[in-house]
Amino acid sequence: MSQQPTADPGTSGFSRRRLLAALAGFSIISTLTMIVAPILGFLIPPKTSGAAAGGKVLVGTVADIPPGQGKVVPVGSSPTIIVNTDQGLNAFSAICPHLGCIVTWDPGSNVILCPCHDGRFNPTTGAVLSGPPPSGLPAEEVTVEDDQIFVVSS
Amino acid sequence: MTTDNPPTSPGSVDDWFESRLHWRALMDALLHVRVPLEAKTFFFGGMTLFLFGVQVVTGTLLALYYKPTPEAAYDSVLFITSDVSFGWLIRSVHHWSANLMILFLVFHLLRVFFQAAYKYPRELTWVVGIGLLGLTMMFGFTGYLLPWDQRAYWATVVGTEIAGGIPFIGDALLVLLRGGADVTEATLSRFFGIHVLVLPLALGAVVAIHLVFVHQQGLANPTKPDPRPPAVPQGRTKPFFPHYILEEVIAWLFLLAMLVVLSSLFPAGLEEEANPLETPAHVKPEWYFLGVYELLKHIPWKVVGILTPMVFIVLLAVLPFIDRNPEVRPRKRPLAIALGILTIAVLIGLTIWGYYS
Ligand code: HEM
Ligand code: FES
Repeated sequence: MSQQPTADPGTSGFSRRRLLAALAGFSIISTLTMIVAPILGFLIPPKTSGAAAGGKVLVGTVADIPPGQGKVVPVGSSPTIIVNTDQGLNAFSAICPHLGCIVTWDPGSNVILCPCHDGRFNPTTGAVLSGPPPSGLPAEEVTVEDDQIFVVSS
Repeated sequence: MTTDNPPTSPGSVDDWFESRLHWRALMDALLHVRVPLEAKTFFFGGMTLFLFGVQVVTGTLLALYYKPTPEAAYDSVLFITSDVSFGWLIRSVHHWSANLMILFLVFHLLRVFFQAAYKYPRELTWVVGIGLLGLTMMFGFTGYLLPWDQRAYWATVVGTEIAGGIPFIGDALLVLLRGGADVTEATLSRFFGIHVLVLPLALGAVVAIHLVFVHQQGLANPTKPDPRPPAVPQGRTKPFFPHYILEEVIAWLFLLAMLVVLSSLFPAGLEEEANPLETPAHVKPEWYFLGVYELLKHIPWKVVGILTPMVFIVLLAVLPFIDRNPEVRPRKRPLAIALGILTIAVLIGLTIWGYYS
């Protein structure tokens, strides 16, 4: 081992070694960015113009949902549950706010029921009666013209 | 490397390879190692590896007929089961091997835990092992959707929604997993790609790392801690090849028989085709997610229910760095053993509860 000269250019302020290290670091980072950015971009799905058919959607006739009954109908791409209670027709989003299952009408207990984790909802208000859902079912506007049921989707 | 090579006659096959590849040194390094006589692996890790091999073979066969679109997936699975020769067998073996793989993976983890084989110097082998656990569960989750029946569809809706409940990153993660806001054909394509391409390559690579680590460290001796600093282990040993391997192969043959029997008696089923408008009554996930399922039903705060299993996995991963007790014999580590048994009891309890609820 020979003695290193005391004025080693590698340790002084702005040296060739530090320049090269900085350049190498820059190349590595920019190369990685160049590879990762398009992959990430590719993975994010493009925005499809949601086929939400705004306005009034015909979902059935009064005869489909006799008093004391309920039914899940498609409104655009969002399932909606229509229930016929003492207070008349009510409509709610049918997507359970817990983990996304589709609720059904439970004729036995006269509540809206989620089959996944046994969440129960009030059929006139949509509020949670029991079970894990963190919030009630959002109400939808429902109208009847002649004997046809429409849901007014937003 | 100098070793006591068995004498071979000139002109033998062994010589032919040796003169070209120096392959005796390679074989000595890979095969002619010794394992402590006290080591008892019960072959669980190797059995998991064998089942992964079965998955690769049967999965490749299934992929020849399977069609990953919502219109065709269900029918293509029906076609495999009812029209393709041995299709029912291949599909059922894939189904059972997946379940047994999880089962033996858990047995392997428990064996390593109770023998304290995760302690110095094997901490990283354990951490990599938890990575394998995660990858294997992702295999189960993504594969479950592919038949596109009601069970498949709704398990995926709930499962991805769980990922969506993770604070901060949940919303982005949900869209990334589903390929959109809902479970659609975009989700099926993604899950198919992940299941047949990404995960096999990832699991293959991570298993290789796992085995290199095991090879470098040798098998743990469950009767005494490894010496620090590392030294050639004292005590009686036996050759890995052929002694250990032979017993391992017997375990594999036992598994093969088990797969055929299970597949014949309980072939993989198929429910009605997926219907995004109707969640069937009593949808439940695969048995190894039942504990989480039951937890989510009873914890009133959704975020807590979602984060609890994740925190548990992270704690499990860093176990070797939490448990600093160098002892390996169960009697000398009562706290770890008690906590381990308690955890198993809770998990089994939740799973049984989930099964019968
Ligand atoms: C796909 C999953 C896995 C495969 C294929 C696998 C494979 C193996 C194999 C073949 C061995 C050699 C000893 C034996 O057969 O038991 C081993 C050892 C080991 N595995 Fe795994 N393993 C997996 C997952 C795991 C998991 C989930 C853990 C724990 C978190 C783990 C931790 C370990 C440790 C610490 C050792 C060394 C044990 C000793 O030296 O006695 N592995 N693994
Ligand atoms: S998804 Fe409805 S209660 Fe869990």
